[in-house]
Amino acid sequence: MMEFLASIENSGFATWVREANTVLAYPTVLAFHTFGMAFLVGTNAAIDLRILGVAPRLPLAPMERFFPVMWLGFWVNALSGVVLLSLTPITFLTTPVFYIKLLAVMLAVANIRLLKRQVFGNPANLDTRPVPMEGKILAGTSLAFWTVAILAGRVTAYSGFVQRQTALAVLIVAVLVLLAGSITPRVRSLLGWSRYYGKTFDDTRSVSERKMPPWNPS
Amino acid sequence: MESFLRYWLRWPSLESFMSVPWAWPLCETFHFIGLVLLVGIVGMFDLRVLGMARGLPLAPLQRLLPWGVFGFVLCVMTGLMFVLGIGANLYDVNAFDVLMTDPWLQLKLIFIFLAGMNVLAFYLTGMARAVDVLESGADAPPLAKVIAGTSLFLWLGVVYFGRLIPWGL
Repeated sequence: MMEFLASIENSGFATWVREANTVLAYPTVLAFHTFGMAFLVGTNAAIDLRILGVAPRLPLAPMERFFPVMWLGFWVNALSGVVLLSLTPITFLTTPVFYIKLLAVMLAVANIRLLKRQVFGNPANLDTRPVPMEGKILAGTSLAFWTVAILAGRVTAYSGFVQRQTALAVLIVAVLVLLAGSITPRVRSLLGWSRYYGKTFDDTRSVSERKMPPWNPS
Repeated sequence: MESFLRYWLRWPSLESFMSVPWAWPLCETFHFIGLVLLVGIVGMFDLRVLGMARGLPLAPLQRLLPWGVFGFVLCVMTGLMFVLGIGANLYDVNAFDVLMTDPWLQLKLIFIFLAGMNVLAFYLTGMARAVDVLESGADAPPLAKVIAGTSLFLWLGVVYFGRLIPWGL
């Protein structure tokens, strides 16, 4: 097995991508891996945020058109990921956190398919009644899986001890940011800085949206 | 001027923080989370203006944009920590020299500036208001499409040059 991996690592292709003296080799493959991540995870995060209650006036049904953008990002990353793996396969495949990343990506992709079936599967119910609880849970797990995937990818080059410390630091900062975000509107309204003058606390529509009829008459 | 900049670009306490083993990967993780939110949400908005998923009305779609701005703020904060704390990662390197010599970092900063000018153009040409009233199924004016296409190109350029920064050090 190790000889097989070593022969991949020493192949002309892997050697060229790894060592060519041009930014069009290794750095560009890395950049494409980042483009794919931005489209796959970013589009998925936007859909998750909508399901979790951001931009409540935005109809969900047309967002299904963005699923091909996610699959394009996925295939760009599957391809660029295989190239990156072929450069130093022994290092990657003997690093436990690399398997955590692969597992997180697989779970996140399975999550997209479940989300599509659960939330977008029944167009008659979409945008006429609130997203069911299972849909909101799937949106939350989607964000969590992608965070783990990004974190695991970022710490691959570090020692196990630093990896665990980083994971804890990310968790603490994320909780602090979420807490700050959840108390900000309350602090603003206490100080009288609220943008939502004369409206109930939950009415977060922009002024131009308020002039429009509600998206769904129900 | 140079000594002034060298003085203000030196942040020894930030450098000490970035020397903590988990500080660099922590900032990298949030830089990537920010990148994903920024490019994903702004990209989604640009694609809608360009004509994809025309069923989406634009005014409520704009309510997602603050999360893209949040991603941008995450990236700026962590990016400043990388540049100002570069000495923690590379021996005897400082922010001033990196800013003066790394062509990819310079290109990235120019592209971020151009993306900012593009947003300004979006508002000053009245396209922001023209787009805000677009209902489900409506097509955006050509100038708005040009600005949306430019935005996509510039942000992907920012990501590309950002990835190349280590090779210009």
